[in-house]
Amino acid sequence: MSIIEQLVSAVGVPNFGVLIPEIIVLITAFIVFFEELFSKNRILISATTVIGLLLSLLSIFTIKQGDLTLYGLYVVDGFSLLFKLFLLISTIIIVATYRRYFESKDIYFGEFYYLTLFALLGMMIMVSSPNLFTFYVGLELSSITTYILVGMFKTKNKKLKDFDYKSKEGAFKYLIIGGAGTAVISYAIALLYGASGTFDFMEISRAALNDANIGLIAGMVLLVLGLALKAAAVPFHHWAPDAYEGAPTPITTFMAVAVKIATFALILRVMVEAFPFISKDWALVWSILAALSMTVGNFIALRQKSIKRMLAYSSIAHTGYITAALAAPTGMGFAAFIFYTLVYIFMSIGAFAVLTFLEKTEGWNNTFDDFKGLAKRSPLIAIVMLVFMFSLLGIPPTVGFFGKLGVFLALIGSDIWWLAVVLVVMSIISAGYYLRVVSVMYMYEPVKNISFNINGVEKSILILMAVIVLILGIYPTVFWGISTQMSSLLIAGIGR
Amino acid sequence: MIPYEYYIALSGLLMVLGLIGIIIRRNIIAMLISTELMLNAVNIAFVAFDMKLHDVAGQVFVFFILTIAAAEAAVGLGLIMAIYRLRKDVSVDTLTELKL
Repeated sequence: MSIIEQLVSAVGVPNFGVLIPEIIVLITAFIVFFEELFSKNRILISATTVIGLLLSLLSIFTIKQGDLTLYGLYVVDGFSLLFKLFLLISTIIIVATYRRYFESKDIYFGEFYYLTLFALLGMMIMVSSPNLFTFYVGLELSSITTYILVGMFKTKNKKLKDFDYKSKEGAFKYLIIGGAGTAVISYAIALLYGASGTFDFMEISRAALNDANIGLIAGMVLLVLGLALKAAAVPFHHWAPDAYEGAPTPITTFMAVAVKIATFALILRVMVEAFPFISKDWALVWSILAALSMTVGNFIALRQKSIKRMLAYSSIAHTGYITAALAAPTGMGFAAFIFYTLVYIFMSIGAFAVLTFLEKTEGWNNTFDDFKGLAKRSPLIAIVMLVFMFSLLGIPPTVGFFGKLGVFLALIGSDIWWLAVVLVVMSIISAGYYLRVVSVMYMYEPVKNISFNINGVEKSILILMAVIVLILGIYPTVFWGISTQMSSLLIAGIGR
Repeated sequence: MIPYEYYIALSGLLMVLGLIGIIIRRNIIAMLISTELMLNAVNIAFVAFDMKLHDVAGQVFVFFILTIAAAEAAVGLGLIMAIYRLRKDVSVDTLTELKL
Protein backbone atom coordinates (compact mmCIF):
# COMPACT_ATOMS: atom_id res chain seq x y z
CA MET A 1 0.00 0.00 0.00
CA SER A 2 2.57 2.53 1.11
CA ILE A 3 4.81 1.48 -1.78
CA ILE A 4 2.06 2.37 -4.23
CA GLU A 5 1.58 5.70 -2.52
CA GLN A 6 5.28 6.45 -2.66
CA LEU A 7 5.53 5.48 -6.31
CA VAL A 8 2.61 7.67 -7.13
CA SER A 9 3.70 10.61 -5.09
CA ALA A 10 6.88 10.48 -7.15
CA VAL A 11 4.74 10.82 -10.25
CA GLY A 12 2.91 13.60 -8.50
CA VAL A 13 -0.79 12.88 -8.78
CA PRO A 14 -2.51 14.36 -5.75
CA ASN A 15 -5.18 12.38 -3.89
CA PHE A 16 -4.32 9.12 -5.58
CA GLY A 17 -5.51 7.12 -2.56
CA VAL A 18 -9.15 7.34 -3.57
CA LEU A 19 -8.39 5.08 -6.54
CA ILE A 20 -7.63 2.06 -4.31
CA PRO A 21 -10.72 -0.01 -5.27
CA GLU A 22 -9.93 0.38 -8.97
CA ILE A 23 -6.26 -0.41 -8.42
CA ILE A 24 -7.14 -3.58 -6.51
CA VAL A 25 -9.46 -4.70 -9.31
CA LEU A 26 -6.75 -3.99 -11.91
CA ILE A 27 -4.04 -5.84 -9.99
CA THR A 28 -6.37 -8.81 -9.44
CA ALA A 29 -7.07 -8.89 -13.15
CA PHE A 30 -3.35 -9.12 -13.92
CA ILE A 31 -2.78 -11.74 -11.22
CA VAL A 32 -5.58 -13.87 -12.69
CA PHE A 33 -4.10 -13.32 -16.15
CA PHE A 34 -0.76 -14.82 -15.12
CA GLU A 35 -2.32 -17.54 -13.01
CA GLU A 36 -4.28 -18.61 -16.03
CA LEU A 37 -1.04 -18.84 -18.06
CA PHE A 38 0.81 -21.04 -15.59
CA SER A 39 -1.84 -23.09 -13.87
CA LYS A 40 -5.16 -24.47 -14.96
CA ASN A 41 -6.42 -24.87 -11.40
CA ARG A 42 -10.01 -23.68 -11.71
CA ILE A 43 -10.77 -23.27 -8.03
CA LEU A 44 -7.61 -21.18 -7.56
CA ILE A 45 -8.57 -18.80 -10.37
CA SER A 46 -12.13 -18.28 -9.14
CA ALA A 47 -10.97 -17.90 -5.54
CA THR A 48 -8.41 -15.25 -6.52
CA THR A 49 -11.04 -13.31 -8.40
CA VAL A 50 -13.53 -13.40 -5.54
CA ILE A 51 -10.89 -12.47 -2.95
CA GLY A 52 -9.71 -9.53 -5.05
CA LEU A 53 -13.26 -8.31 -5.46
CA LEU A 54 -13.94 -8.66 -1.72
CA LEU A 55 -10.78 -6.66 -0.89
CA SER A 56 -11.86 -3.98 -3.31
CA LEU A 57 -15.33 -3.99 -1.71
CA LEU A 58 -13.87 -3.53 1.76
CA SER A 59 -11.56 -0.75 0.60
CA ILE A 60 -14.57 1.27 -0.56
CA PHE A 61 -15.61 1.79 3.05
CA THR A 62 -12.25 3.38 3.89
CA ILE A 63 -12.56 6.13 1.30
CA LYS A 64 -13.56 9.64 2.20
CA GLN A 65 -16.33 10.99 0.01
CA GLY A 66 -16.16 13.99 -2.25
CA ASP A 67 -12.62 13.80 -3.58
CA LEU A 68 -11.30 14.69 -7.00
CA THR A 69 -8.20 13.07 -8.37
CA LEU A 70 -6.18 12.80 -11.59
CA TYR A 71 -6.37 16.61 -11.85
CA GLY A 72 -10.15 16.81 -11.85
CA LEU A 73 -10.66 13.96 -14.30
CA TYR A 74 -11.98 11.54 -11.70
CA VAL A 75 -14.54 12.23 -8.99
CA VAL A 76 -15.17 10.00 -5.99
CA ASP A 77 -18.40 11.21 -4.41
CA GLY A 78 -21.20 9.39 -2.61
CA PHE A 79 -22.97 8.64 -5.88
CA SER A 80 -20.01 6.91 -7.49
CA LEU A 81 -19.10 5.05 -4.29
CA LEU A 82 -22.66 3.75 -3.96
CA PHE A 83 -22.69 2.44 -7.50
CA LYS A 84 -19.19 0.96 -7.17
CA LEU A 85 -20.36 -0.88 -4.08
CA PHE A 86 -23.34 -2.38 -5.85
CA LEU A 87 -21.32 -3.18 -8.99
CA LEU A 88 -18.80 -5.07 -6.87
CA ILE A 89 -21.50 -6.94 -4.94
CA SER A 90 -23.30 -8.01 -8.09
CA THR A 91 -20.03 -9.01 -9.81
CA ILE A 92 -19.05 -11.17 -6.81
CA ILE A 93 -22.38 -12.98 -6.93
CA ILE A 94 -22.18 -13.45 -10.71
CA VAL A 95 -18.57 -14.67 -10.62
CA ALA A 96 -19.60 -17.23 -7.99
CA THR A 97 -21.94 -18.78 -10.58
CA TYR A 98 -19.27 -19.00 -13.32
CA ARG A 99 -17.23 -22.12 -12.66
CA ARG A 100 -19.83 -24.88 -12.51
CA TYR A 101 -21.75 -23.51 -15.51
CA PHE A 102 -18.66 -23.30 -17.71
CA GLU A 103 -17.49 -26.76 -16.66
CA SER A 104 -20.86 -28.26 -17.50
CA LYS A 105 -20.74 -26.67 -20.96
CA ASP A 106 -17.10 -27.57 -21.58
CA ILE A 107 -16.17 -23.94 -22.20
CA TYR A 108 -14.08 -23.27 -19.13
CA PHE A 109 -11.48 -20.54 -19.78
CA GLY A 110 -9.58 -18.34 -17.35
CA GLU A 111 -10.22 -15.48 -19.77
CA PHE A 112 -13.77 -15.14 -18.49
CA TYR A 113 -12.46 -14.07 -15.09
CA TYR A 114 -9.99 -11.39 -16.04
CA LEU A 115 -12.15 -10.00 -18.83
CA THR A 116 -14.96 -9.66 -16.30
CA LEU A 117 -12.57 -7.78 -14.03
CA PHE A 118 -11.50 -5.44 -16.84
CA ALA A 119 -15.13 -4.79 -17.73
CA LEU A 120 -15.81 -4.07 -14.07
CA LEU A 121 -12.89 -1.64 -14.02
CA GLY A 122 -14.37 0.16 -17.01
CA MET A 123 -17.71 0.43 -15.23
CA MET A 124 -16.09 1.77 -12.08
CA ILE A 125 -14.40 4.44 -14.22
CA MET A 126 -17.74 5.19 -15.90
CA VAL A 127 -19.65 5.87 -12.71
CA SER A 128 -17.05 8.29 -11.38
CA SER A 129 -16.45 10.40 -14.47
CA PRO A 130 -16.87 14.18 -14.20
CA ASN A 131 -15.36 14.66 -17.62
CA LEU A 132 -16.04 13.42 -21.14
CA PHE A 133 -12.52 11.93 -21.38
CA THR A 134 -13.03 9.61 -18.42
CA PHE A 135 -16.59 8.95 -19.53
CA TYR A 136 -15.47 7.81 -22.97
CA VAL A 137 -12.57 5.65 -21.82
CA GLY A 138 -14.64 3.89 -19.15
CA LEU A 139 -17.56 3.29 -21.47
CA GLU A 140 -15.33 1.80 -24.17
CA LEU A 141 -13.31 -0.33 -21.77
CA SER A 142 -16.48 -1.97 -20.51
CA SER A 143 -18.13 -2.24 -23.97
CA ILE A 144 -15.19 -3.79 -25.82
CA THR A 145 -14.53 -6.34 -23.07
CA THR A 146 -18.22 -7.25 -23.09
CA TYR A 147 -18.09 -7.88 -26.87
CA ILE A 148 -15.35 -10.43 -26.24
CA LEU A 149 -17.18 -12.02 -23.31
CA VAL A 150 -20.32 -12.53 -25.41
CA GLY A 151 -18.40 -14.32 -28.15
CA MET A 152 -16.50 -16.67 -25.84
CA PHE A 153 -18.81 -19.69 -26.07
CA LYS A 154 -16.16 -21.87 -27.72
CA THR A 155 -16.71 -25.53 -27.06
CA LYS A 156 -15.36 -28.87 -28.26
CA ASN A 157 -18.61 -30.60 -27.30
CA LYS A 158 -20.25 -31.65 -30.58
CA LYS A 159 -23.78 -31.30 -29.17
CA LEU A 160 -23.24 -27.64 -28.36
CA LYS A 161 -21.76 -26.58 -31.75
CA ASP A 162 -24.92 -24.63 -32.49
CA PHE A 163 -24.51 -22.49 -29.37
CA ASP A 164 -20.92 -21.81 -30.40
CA TYR A 165 -22.08 -20.14 -33.59
CA LYS A 166 -24.96 -18.31 -31.94
CA SER A 167 -22.55 -16.76 -29.47
CA LYS A 168 -20.31 -15.45 -32.29
CA GLU A 169 -23.31 -14.11 -34.15
CA GLY A 170 -24.67 -12.32 -31.08
CA ALA A 171 -21.25 -10.86 -30.35
CA PHE A 172 -20.81 -9.61 -33.90
CA LYS A 173 -24.21 -7.92 -33.96
CA TYR A 174 -23.43 -6.35 -30.58
CA LEU A 175 -20.04 -5.19 -31.90
CA ILE A 176 -21.39 -3.57 -35.07
CA ILE A 177 -24.33 -1.82 -33.41
CA GLY A 178 -22.32 -0.97 -30.31
CA GLY A 179 -19.54 0.37 -32.57
CA ALA A 180 -22.03 2.60 -34.34
CA GLY A 181 -23.18 3.77 -30.89
CA THR A 182 -19.58 4.54 -29.96
CA ALA A 183 -19.18 6.59 -33.12
CA VAL A 184 -22.38 8.51 -32.39
CA ILE A 185 -21.25 9.21 -28.82
CA SER A 186 -17.83 10.39 -30.10
CA TYR A 187 -19.50 12.69 -32.59
CA ALA A 188 -21.70 14.04 -29.80
CA ILE A 189 -18.57 14.71 -27.74
CA ALA A 190 -16.99 16.49 -30.73
CA LEU A 191 -20.06 18.70 -31.13
CA LEU A 192 -20.19 19.50 -27.40
CA TYR A 193 -16.50 20.34 -27.48
CA GLY A 194 -16.94 22.54 -30.51
CA ALA A 195 -19.85 24.38 -28.93
CA SER A 196 -18.44 24.83 -25.43
CA GLY A 197 -14.67 24.46 -25.83
CA THR A 198 -14.38 22.07 -22.88
CA PHE A 199 -14.86 18.44 -21.86
CA ASP A 200 -15.78 19.10 -18.25
CA PHE A 201 -19.41 18.47 -17.26
CA MET A 202 -19.63 21.57 -15.06
CA GLU A 203 -18.19 23.90 -17.67
CA ILE A 204 -20.49 22.42 -20.31
CA SER A 205 -23.44 23.17 -18.03
CA ARG A 206 -22.22 26.76 -17.65
CA ALA A 207 -21.84 27.11 -21.41
CA ALA A 208 -25.38 25.77 -21.84
CA LEU A 209 -26.67 28.32 -19.33
CA ASN A 210 -25.02 31.23 -21.12
CA ASP A 211 -25.73 30.25 -24.68
CA ALA A 212 -27.60 27.04 -25.55
CA ASN A 213 -26.78 27.15 -29.27
CA ILE A 214 -27.68 24.59 -31.91
CA GLY A 215 -24.35 22.74 -31.67
CA LEU A 216 -24.80 22.14 -27.97
CA ILE A 217 -28.39 20.93 -28.33
CA ALA A 218 -27.43 18.66 -31.25
CA GLY A 219 -24.53 17.25 -29.24
CA MET A 220 -26.82 16.62 -26.29
CA VAL A 221 -29.42 14.83 -28.41
CA LEU A 222 -26.77 12.67 -30.11
CA LEU A 223 -25.29 11.82 -26.70
CA VAL A 224 -28.73 10.79 -25.44
CA LEU A 225 -29.25 8.59 -28.51
CA GLY A 226 -25.82 6.97 -28.14
CA LEU A 227 -26.37 6.25 -24.46
CA ALA A 228 -29.86 4.93 -25.20
CA LEU A 229 -28.20 2.51 -27.63
CA LYS A 230 -25.79 1.34 -24.94
CA ALA A 231 -28.69 0.90 -22.49
CA ALA A 232 -30.73 -1.01 -25.12
CA ALA A 233 -33.68 1.38 -25.39
CA VAL A 234 -36.06 1.04 -28.35
CA PRO A 235 -35.51 1.87 -31.29
CA PHE A 236 -31.82 0.99 -30.74
CA HIS A 237 -32.46 -2.35 -29.05
CA HIS A 238 -31.78 -4.76 -31.91
CA TRP A 239 -28.49 -5.97 -30.53
CA ALA A 240 -29.81 -6.76 -27.06
CA PRO A 241 -31.95 -9.89 -27.52
CA ASP A 242 -29.42 -11.51 -29.85
CA ALA A 243 -26.41 -10.74 -27.66
CA TYR A 244 -28.29 -11.82 -24.53
CA GLU A 245 -29.40 -15.07 -26.10
CA GLY A 246 -26.07 -15.89 -27.71
CA ALA A 247 -23.90 -15.20 -24.67
CA PRO A 248 -23.21 -17.87 -22.05
CA THR A 249 -25.91 -17.38 -19.39
CA PRO A 250 -23.64 -16.05 -16.58
CA ILE A 251 -22.33 -13.47 -19.05
CA THR A 252 -25.93 -12.57 -19.90
CA THR A 253 -26.45 -11.97 -16.19
CA PHE A 254 -23.37 -9.77 -16.11
CA MET A 255 -24.60 -7.75 -19.09
CA ALA A 256 -28.16 -7.45 -17.84
CA VAL A 257 -27.09 -6.38 -14.36
CA ALA A 258 -23.65 -4.82 -14.07
CA VAL A 259 -23.25 -3.26 -17.53
CA LYS A 260 -26.80 -1.99 -17.42
CA ILE A 261 -26.74 -0.31 -14.03
CA ALA A 262 -23.36 1.26 -14.76
CA THR A 263 -24.84 2.70 -17.96
CA PHE A 264 -27.81 4.03 -16.01
CA ALA A 265 -25.56 5.66 -13.41
CA LEU A 266 -23.56 7.24 -16.23
CA ILE A 267 -26.72 8.50 -17.94
CA LEU A 268 -27.99 10.10 -14.74
CA ARG A 269 -24.68 11.78 -13.99
CA VAL A 270 -24.21 13.17 -17.50
CA MET A 271 -27.76 14.45 -17.71
CA VAL A 272 -27.82 16.07 -14.28
CA GLU A 273 -24.29 17.46 -14.18
CA ALA A 274 -23.68 18.48 -17.79
CA PHE A 275 -27.14 19.57 -18.96
CA PRO A 276 -29.14 20.71 -15.92
CA PHE A 277 -30.24 23.94 -17.58
CA ILE A 278 -31.65 22.33 -20.71
CA SER A 279 -33.44 19.57 -18.80
CA LYS A 280 -36.72 20.17 -20.69
CA ASP A 281 -35.08 19.05 -23.95
CA TRP A 282 -33.57 15.81 -22.70
CA ALA A 283 -36.63 14.97 -20.60
CA LEU A 284 -38.69 15.03 -23.78
CA VAL A 285 -36.24 12.77 -25.66
CA TRP A 286 -36.06 10.30 -22.76
CA SER A 287 -39.83 10.19 -22.33
CA ILE A 288 -40.28 9.21 -25.99
CA LEU A 289 -37.54 6.57 -25.76
CA ALA A 290 -39.01 5.23 -22.52
CA ALA A 291 -42.54 4.96 -23.90
CA LEU A 292 -41.24 3.15 -27.00
CA SER A 293 -39.08 0.76 -24.94
CA MET A 294 -41.93 -0.15 -22.63
CA THR A 295 -44.37 -0.76 -25.49
CA VAL A 296 -42.13 -2.63 -27.93
CA GLY A 297 -40.22 -4.58 -25.26
CA ASN A 298 -43.36 -5.89 -23.60
CA PHE A 299 -45.24 -6.74 -26.78
CA ILE A 300 -42.36 -8.67 -28.35
CA ALA A 301 -41.67 -10.47 -25.06
CA LEU A 302 -45.21 -11.85 -25.19
CA ARG A 303 -44.46 -14.06 -28.17
CA GLN A 304 -41.14 -15.59 -27.08
CA LYS A 305 -40.66 -19.33 -26.70
CA SER A 306 -37.32 -19.17 -24.90
CA ILE A 307 -37.35 -17.78 -21.36
CA LYS A 308 -33.82 -16.41 -21.80
CA ARG A 309 -34.90 -14.34 -24.79
CA MET A 310 -38.09 -13.33 -23.02
CA LEU A 311 -36.01 -12.00 -20.13
CA ALA A 312 -33.88 -10.09 -22.65
CA TYR A 313 -37.00 -8.29 -23.92
CA SER A 314 -38.14 -7.84 -20.34
CA SER A 315 -34.81 -6.15 -19.68
CA ILE A 316 -35.51 -3.78 -22.61
CA ALA A 317 -38.91 -3.04 -21.06
CA HIS A 318 -37.18 -2.32 -17.75
CA THR A 319 -34.88 0.13 -19.50
CA GLY A 320 -38.13 1.85 -20.41
CA TYR A 321 -39.47 1.85 -16.85
CA ILE A 322 -36.20 3.17 -15.44
CA THR A 323 -35.57 5.89 -18.01
CA ALA A 324 -39.22 6.98 -17.71
CA ALA A 325 -38.10 8.53 -14.42
CA LEU A 326 -35.85 10.89 -16.43
CA ALA A 327 -38.94 12.35 -18.11
CA ALA A 328 -39.54 14.10 -14.78
CA PRO A 329 -36.28 16.01 -14.16
CA THR A 330 -36.92 16.64 -10.46
CA GLY A 331 -35.35 15.36 -7.25
CA MET A 332 -38.18 12.86 -6.96
CA GLY A 333 -37.56 11.60 -10.49
CA PHE A 334 -33.83 11.09 -9.89
CA ALA A 335 -34.52 9.34 -6.58
CA ALA A 336 -36.98 6.99 -8.30
CA PHE A 337 -34.38 6.38 -11.03
CA ILE A 338 -31.65 5.44 -8.54
CA PHE A 339 -34.03 3.33 -6.44
CA TYR A 340 -35.29 1.32 -9.39
CA THR A 341 -31.74 0.86 -10.71
CA LEU A 342 -30.57 -0.50 -7.35
CA VAL A 343 -33.46 -2.88 -6.76
CA TYR A 344 -33.35 -4.07 -10.38
CA ILE A 345 -29.97 -5.66 -9.54
CA PHE A 346 -31.48 -8.17 -7.14
CA MET A 347 -34.45 -9.32 -9.17
CA SER A 348 -32.48 -9.52 -12.39
CA ILE A 349 -29.56 -11.47 -10.89
CA GLY A 350 -32.10 -13.83 -9.35
CA ALA A 351 -34.06 -14.50 -12.51
CA PHE A 352 -30.98 -15.01 -14.69
CA ALA A 353 -29.23 -17.09 -12.02
CA VAL A 354 -32.16 -19.52 -12.03
CA LEU A 355 -31.63 -19.96 -15.78
CA THR A 356 -27.86 -20.39 -15.27
CA PHE A 357 -28.32 -23.12 -12.70
CA LEU A 358 -31.01 -25.01 -14.59
CA GLU A 359 -29.10 -24.85 -17.85
CA LYS A 360 -26.36 -27.07 -16.45
CA THR A 361 -28.76 -29.99 -16.76
CA GLU A 362 -28.27 -31.85 -20.01
CA GLY A 363 -30.95 -31.21 -22.62
CA TRP A 364 -32.26 -28.10 -20.87
CA ASN A 365 -32.72 -25.15 -23.23
CA ASN A 366 -34.68 -22.70 -21.05
CA THR A 367 -37.83 -22.89 -23.16
CA PHE A 368 -41.30 -22.67 -21.69
CA ASP A 369 -41.74 -26.39 -22.38
CA ASP A 370 -38.69 -27.19 -20.26
CA PHE A 371 -40.18 -25.30 -17.34
CA LYS A 372 -43.35 -27.39 -17.33
CA GLY A 373 -44.02 -28.89 -13.92
CA LEU A 374 -40.87 -27.44 -12.35
CA ALA A 375 -42.69 -27.00 -9.03
CA LYS A 376 -43.11 -30.77 -8.68
CA ARG A 377 -39.51 -31.55 -9.47
CA SER A 378 -37.80 -28.76 -7.56
CA PRO A 379 -40.13 -26.76 -5.28
CA LEU A 380 -37.35 -24.45 -4.07
CA ILE A 381 -36.36 -23.21 -7.53
CA ALA A 382 -40.00 -22.80 -8.51
CA ILE A 383 -40.78 -20.66 -5.49
CA VAL A 384 -37.76 -18.35 -5.90
CA MET A 385 -38.50 -18.01 -9.63
CA LEU A 386 -42.05 -17.05 -8.65
CA VAL A 387 -40.72 -14.33 -6.35
CA PHE A 388 -38.48 -12.92 -9.11
CA MET A 389 -41.25 -13.01 -11.70
CA PHE A 390 -43.65 -11.22 -9.31
CA SER A 391 -40.97 -8.65 -8.57
CA LEU A 392 -40.21 -8.00 -12.25
CA LEU A 393 -43.94 -7.68 -12.80
CA GLY A 394 -44.34 -5.39 -9.79
CA ILE A 395 -46.72 -7.17 -7.45
CA PRO A 396 -46.49 -6.27 -3.75
CA PRO A 397 -44.96 -7.34 -1.37
CA THR A 398 -41.96 -7.61 -3.71
CA VAL A 399 -39.68 -4.66 -4.31
CA GLY A 400 -40.51 -4.32 -7.99
CA PHE A 401 -43.78 -2.76 -6.93
CA PHE A 402 -42.05 0.08 -5.09
CA GLY A 403 -39.69 0.66 -8.00
CA LYS A 404 -42.61 1.21 -10.35
CA LEU A 405 -44.56 3.16 -7.72
CA GLY A 406 -41.64 5.58 -7.31
CA VAL A 407 -41.41 6.22 -11.04
CA PHE A 408 -45.22 6.57 -11.25
CA LEU A 409 -45.36 9.12 -8.43
CA ALA A 410 -42.47 11.10 -9.91
CA LEU A 411 -44.26 11.25 -13.27
CA ILE A 412 -47.53 12.35 -11.68
CA GLY A 413 -45.69 14.92 -9.56
CA SER A 414 -44.46 16.55 -12.77
CA ASP A 415 -47.85 16.24 -14.50
CA ILE A 416 -46.65 13.81 -17.16
CA TRP A 417 -49.83 11.79 -17.13
CA TRP A 418 -49.50 10.18 -20.54
CA LEU A 419 -46.25 8.43 -19.63
CA ALA A 420 -47.65 7.34 -16.26
CA VAL A 421 -50.62 5.76 -18.05
CA VAL A 422 -48.28 4.02 -20.52
CA LEU A 423 -46.24 2.68 -17.59
CA VAL A 424 -49.28 1.21 -15.83
CA VAL A 425 -50.83 -0.27 -18.98
CA MET A 426 -47.53 -1.82 -20.03
CA SER A 427 -47.00 -3.30 -16.56
CA ILE A 428 -50.39 -4.99 -16.88
CA ILE A 429 -49.47 -6.33 -20.33
CA SER A 430 -46.18 -7.68 -18.98
CA ALA A 431 -48.23 -9.92 -16.66
CA GLY A 432 -48.96 -11.92 -19.81
CA TYR A 433 -45.46 -13.35 -19.97
CA TYR A 434 -44.29 -13.21 -16.35
CA LEU A 435 -47.35 -15.06 -15.11
CA ARG A 436 -47.02 -17.52 -17.97
CA VAL A 437 -43.73 -18.68 -16.45
CA VAL A 438 -45.48 -19.14 -13.10
CA SER A 439 -48.43 -20.99 -14.58
CA VAL A 440 -46.16 -23.26 -16.62
CA MET A 441 -44.21 -24.12 -13.48
CA TYR A 442 -47.20 -24.79 -11.24
CA MET A 443 -50.10 -25.89 -13.41
CA TYR A 444 -48.52 -28.53 -15.63
CA GLU A 445 -47.30 -32.03 -15.02
CA PRO A 446 -43.57 -32.67 -15.49
CA VAL A 447 -42.84 -33.94 -19.01
CA LYS A 448 -39.61 -35.80 -18.32
CA ASN A 449 -37.90 -36.74 -15.13
CA ILE A 450 -34.64 -34.82 -14.80
CA SER A 451 -32.67 -34.39 -11.60
CA PHE A 452 -31.02 -31.02 -11.19
CA ASN A 453 -27.42 -30.52 -10.24
CA ILE A 454 -27.54 -27.55 -7.87
CA ASN A 455 -25.23 -27.28 -4.88
CA GLY A 456 -25.47 -25.40 -1.60
CA VAL A 457 -23.73 -22.22 -2.74
CA GLU A 458 -26.09 -21.85 -5.69
CA LYS A 459 -29.15 -22.51 -3.55
CA SER A 460 -28.02 -19.94 -1.02
CA ILE A 461 -27.48 -17.34 -3.79
CA LEU A 462 -31.05 -17.87 -4.99
CA ILE A 463 -32.53 -17.80 -1.48
CA LEU A 464 -30.50 -14.69 -0.58
CA MET A 465 -31.72 -12.80 -3.65
CA ALA A 466 -35.35 -13.85 -3.05
CA VAL A 467 -35.15 -12.82 0.61
CA ILE A 468 -33.63 -9.44 -0.30
CA VAL A 469 -36.39 -8.86 -2.85
CA LEU A 470 -39.05 -9.67 -0.25
CA ILE A 471 -37.48 -7.74 2.62
CA LEU A 472 -36.98 -4.64 0.48
CA GLY A 473 -40.56 -5.03 -0.70
CA ILE A 474 -41.83 -4.91 2.87
CA TYR A 475 -39.34 -2.36 4.15
CA PRO A 476 -38.01 -0.18 1.28
CA THR A 477 -37.23 2.78 3.55
CA VAL A 478 -33.46 2.29 3.73
CA PHE A 479 -32.96 2.09 -0.03
CA TRP A 480 -35.40 4.89 -0.65
CA GLY A 481 -33.51 7.04 1.89
CA ILE A 482 -30.19 6.33 0.15
CA SER A 483 -31.70 7.16 -3.26
CA THR A 484 -33.18 10.44 -2.04
CA GLN A 485 -29.85 11.39 -0.47
CA MET A 486 -27.97 10.62 -3.71
CA SER A 487 -30.41 12.57 -5.84
CA SER A 488 -30.11 15.63 -3.58
CA LEU A 489 -26.32 15.22 -3.69
CA LEU A 490 -26.39 15.26 -7.49
CA ILE A 491 -28.69 18.28 -7.53
CA ALA A 492 -26.52 20.12 -4.99
CA GLY A 493 -23.60 19.65 -7.38
CA ILE A 494 -25.29 21.60 -10.19
CA GLY A 495 -23.26 24.63 -11.17
CA ARG A 496 -20.64 23.83 -8.53
CA MET B 1 -7.19 29.40 -45.49
CA ILE B 2 -10.16 27.09 -45.68
CA PRO B 3 -12.79 27.92 -43.01
CA TYR B 4 -13.40 25.22 -40.41
CA GLU B 5 -17.06 24.76 -41.36
CA TYR B 6 -15.97 22.93 -44.50
CA TYR B 7 -14.18 20.31 -42.42
CA ILE B 8 -17.23 19.89 -40.19
CA ALA B 9 -19.38 19.37 -43.27
CA LEU B 10 -16.89 16.76 -44.55
CA SER B 11 -16.95 14.93 -41.24
CA GLY B 12 -20.75 14.96 -41.16
CA LEU B 13 -20.79 13.56 -44.69
CA LEU B 14 -18.38 10.75 -43.77
CA MET B 15 -20.43 9.98 -40.67
CA VAL B 16 -23.61 9.60 -42.72
CA LEU B 17 -21.74 7.50 -45.29
CA GLY B 18 -20.58 5.20 -42.51
CA LEU B 19 -24.11 4.81 -41.19
CA ILE B 20 -25.45 4.07 -44.66
CA GLY B 21 -22.62 1.56 -45.13
CA ILE B 22 -23.62 -0.32 -41.97
CA ILE B 23 -27.21 -0.45 -43.15
CA ILE B 24 -26.80 -1.49 -46.79
CA ARG B 25 -23.57 -3.50 -47.06
CA ARG B 26 -24.03 -7.28 -47.19
CA ASN B 27 -20.45 -8.18 -46.29
CA ILE B 28 -19.61 -8.19 -42.59
CA ILE B 29 -16.04 -6.98 -43.19
CA ALA B 30 -17.42 -3.97 -45.03
CA MET B 31 -19.75 -3.31 -42.09
CA LEU B 32 -16.78 -3.30 -39.74
CA ILE B 33 -14.92 -0.88 -42.03
CA SER B 34 -17.99 1.38 -42.01
CA THR B 35 -17.84 1.73 -38.21
CA GLU B 36 -14.16 2.63 -38.54
CA LEU B 37 -15.10 5.25 -41.14
CA MET B 38 -17.52 6.80 -38.66
CA LEU B 39 -14.84 7.01 -35.99
CA ASN B 40 -12.45 8.65 -38.47
CA ALA B 41 -15.14 11.18 -39.34
CA VAL B 42 -15.18 12.11 -35.65
CA ASN B 43 -11.40 12.62 -35.74
CA ILE B 44 -11.78 15.15 -38.55
CA ALA B 45 -14.47 16.96 -36.56
CA PHE B 46 -12.21 17.17 -33.51
CA VAL B 47 -9.29 18.60 -35.45
CA ALA B 48 -11.58 21.10 -37.17
CA PHE B 49 -13.00 22.28 -33.83
CA ASP B 50 -9.46 22.66 -32.52
CA MET B 51 -8.74 24.93 -35.46
CA LYS B 52 -11.75 27.03 -34.51
CA LEU B 53 -11.02 27.16 -30.76
CA HIS B 54 -7.18 27.44 -31.03
CA ASP B 55 -6.90 24.62 -28.48
CA VAL B 56 -5.19 21.19 -28.31
CA ALA B 57 -7.58 19.21 -26.06
CA GLY B 58 -9.52 17.94 -29.06
CA GLN B 59 -6.35 16.64 -30.69
CA VAL B 60 -5.61 14.70 -27.50
CA PHE B 61 -9.07 13.18 -27.73
CA VAL B 62 -8.23 12.00 -31.26
CA PHE B 63 -5.56 9.73 -29.79
CA PHE B 64 -8.12 8.13 -27.50
CA ILE B 65 -10.44 7.53 -30.44
CA LEU B 66 -7.62 6.03 -32.53
CA THR B 67 -6.76 3.59 -29.74
CA ILE B 68 -10.36 2.56 -29.20
CA ALA B 69 -10.96 2.16 -32.94
CA ALA B 70 -7.94 -0.14 -33.13
CA ALA B 71 -9.17 -2.24 -30.19
CA GLU B 72 -12.61 -2.51 -31.72
CA ALA B 73 -11.21 -3.51 -35.12
CA ALA B 74 -9.08 -6.20 -33.48
CA VAL B 75 -12.07 -7.69 -31.66
CA GLY B 76 -14.24 -7.41 -34.77
CA LEU B 77 -11.72 -9.12 -37.05
CA GLY B 78 -11.28 -11.88 -34.48
CA LEU B 79 -15.01 -12.47 -34.47
CA ILE B 80 -15.11 -12.46 -38.28
CA MET B 81 -12.37 -15.11 -38.32
CA ALA B 82 -14.37 -17.25 -35.88
CA ILE B 83 -17.55 -16.85 -37.93
CA TYR B 84 -15.68 -17.71 -41.14
CA ARG B 85 -14.24 -20.87 -39.57
CA LEU B 86 -17.68 -22.06 -38.55
CA ARG B 87 -19.66 -21.16 -41.69
CA LYS B 88 -17.08 -20.52 -44.50
CA ASP B 89 -18.91 -17.33 -45.38
CA VAL B 90 -18.74 -13.63 -44.47
CA SER B 91 -22.11 -12.49 -45.77
CA VAL B 92 -24.80 -10.95 -43.57
CA ASP B 93 -27.14 -13.74 -44.62
CA THR B 94 -25.18 -16.19 -42.45
CA LEU B 95 -26.02 -14.15 -39.36
CA THR B 96 -29.59 -15.37 -39.11
CA GLU B 97 -29.53 -18.08 -36.45
CA LEU B 98 -30.92 -15.72 -33.82
CA LYS B 99 -34.24 -14.15 -34.65
CA LEU B 100 -37.56 -13.14 -33.13
